[in-house]
Amino acid sequence: MFNFFKLVQNENMKIYRRPRTYVMLGLLLALIAAISIIGYFVDQNHTTSAWSMIMTEVMISYMLITVFAIIIASSGVADEFTSGTIKLLLIRPWSRSKVLLSKYIAVLLYALGMVVVMLIFTVIINMIVFGFADETAAEVISPLVSGSIVAYLLKYSLLKYVSLVVTTTLAFMLATVSRSGALAIGLSLFLILGVNSFTVLLASIKYKWADYILFIHLDLTQYLNDTPMRDGMTMGFSVLVLAIYYAVFVALAWYVFKKRDVAA
Amino acid sequence: MEQPIVQLQQVTKRIGKKTIINNLTLDLPLGEVFGFLGPNGSGKTTTIRMMVGLMAMTSGEIKIGGFSIRSEYQKAIRNVGAIVENPEMYKYLTGYQNLVHFARMIEGVTPERIQEVITLVGLEARIHDKVKTYSLGMRQRLGVAQAILHRPKLLILDEPTNGLDPAGIRELRDYLRQLSKEEGIAVFVSSHLLSEMELMCDRVAIIQNGKLIDVRTINQGGMDVESNVHTLFEVDKPAEAAEVAAELGKAAIREGSSLVIEANREFVADFNARLVASGIKVYGIRVQTKSLEDQFLEVTGGERIV
Repeated sequence: MFNFFKLVQNENMKIYRRPRTYVMLGLLLALIAAISIIGYFVDQNHTTSAWSMIMTEVMISYMLITVFAIIIASSGVADEFTSGTIKLLLIRPWSRSKVLLSKYIAVLLYALGMVVVMLIFTVIINMIVFGFADETAAEVISPLVSGSIVAYLLKYSLLKYVSLVVTTTLAFMLATVSRSGALAIGLSLFLILGVNSFTVLLASIKYKWADYILFIHLDLTQYLNDTPMRDGMTMGFSVLVLAIYYAVFVALAWYVFKKRDVAA
Repeated sequence: MEQPIVQLQQVTKRIGKKTIINNLTLDLPLGEVFGFLGPNGSGKTTTIRMMVGLMAMTSGEIKIGGFSIRSEYQKAIRNVGAIVENPEMYKYLTGYQNLVHFARMIEGVTPERIQEVITLVGLEARIHDKVKTYSLGMRQRLGVAQAILHRPKLLILDEPTNGLDPAGIRELRDYLRQLSKEEGIAVFVSSHLLSEMELMCDRVAIIQNGKLIDVRTINQGGMDVESNVHTLFEVDKPAEAAEVAAELGKAAIREGSSLVIEANREFVADFNARLVASGIKVYGIRVQTKSLEDQFLEVTGGERIV
């Protein structure tokens, strides 16, 4: 098989040769820096620790990265259809599945890259603003958790990345099926930001079927502090539900992309 | 004849109850510029989309280089370079980045080859500019460049002269003829521009409502001495001239101050001598070759083009 990596390289080129990618990154970093600096001046007594600031900013940043990843994932597929370049892309000696896979990998890499840059930047800027501190997770988060705060942050980020991947895959699937970037971005954002704010409500539904709603499982960090949204829910069950949704999204995206006549 | 590069066998495409392409069978040999002519909505682009695998056939088979586009897609498409409809490229990338993009997708395209193709289509000066700053003609050139990057055996161009200026059209035409003759590749061109096809193609297939109506070979010059052709005589007294024609046993059709008769070369000369002898002034004699347009209108039953 001739170098599949080159396909991913192409998709990367299409992401990183666009100014908007850097605008998004700039927005994210500026927001983090702004929170830290404003926090520093507001907090007259300097009681805020660097790590509690880091945890807050990471949580906010994940929200923003999710939005950006949805935009990149949706437009990555849909733009090919709206601009008509999909026709030139598909008439090459590559199967449609692999073309789509290269796009998907590029999007996941983008999300990963954003997370890594965000983490490093957040830690560094807060160490500069608030000074280096060595704290335990119990001090920063809650007495219920143990271990070092760095280990906690890494676990937290990993679990958040899982939900980022599922969300991005949802957007990717919507874009592939609808071929419209606006629709995919709008719908994904509505589901993630809109419906997600009602998760507590959803979680309180008394019926059995509510156990299988995607949104109450999306945030796996609920298990880090041992505060699941529904009683009796376990991490294993949530991962299983997420895995099933994920498989459905992927199957749908690939099936539609492979079968559809390209008439755009 | 060697094995045709493209074989369309009873290709049919139905969308819902509507039959878009009906039982189309066509063979294309190497080294020929083949025109695909039809009114808008006749199924030209649909056929091209099926040839490059963008659309699935309802029934039938398309083989390119002997490989089925259905079951051996990657081997089949390796032989094809194409522009389907407009040459849409990534506007936010430069022309060069676009070419690199497509070069990466096919084995064996070197940076030297990219450079060679750029020179060939005459984009050296602007290749490092973003495509969104290109004119339609320049995009068309870039489209041709990406299509020939990997030296395909079959070049499929959908309406290639769209947006080109007359010099560009001429250049493209010469280049396509050169490609087909020197490199022996098959060029498949769709168009509704009849005059263009006449100058560019060796053979033309005419399609209407998804059906193949006719395949015609286009005469590239060469006079047929024996056969009767429509010849137009511009004279000062057409009524008297018609009588002269009648004396010689030929029916003449009056067209304003001109006469049209169907005759061979010898008769034309004789008739002219008789006209002059009878004191009728002859201002001009013209052979009315049936243009592709006439033929086209003839076979499609006068359906409006464009």
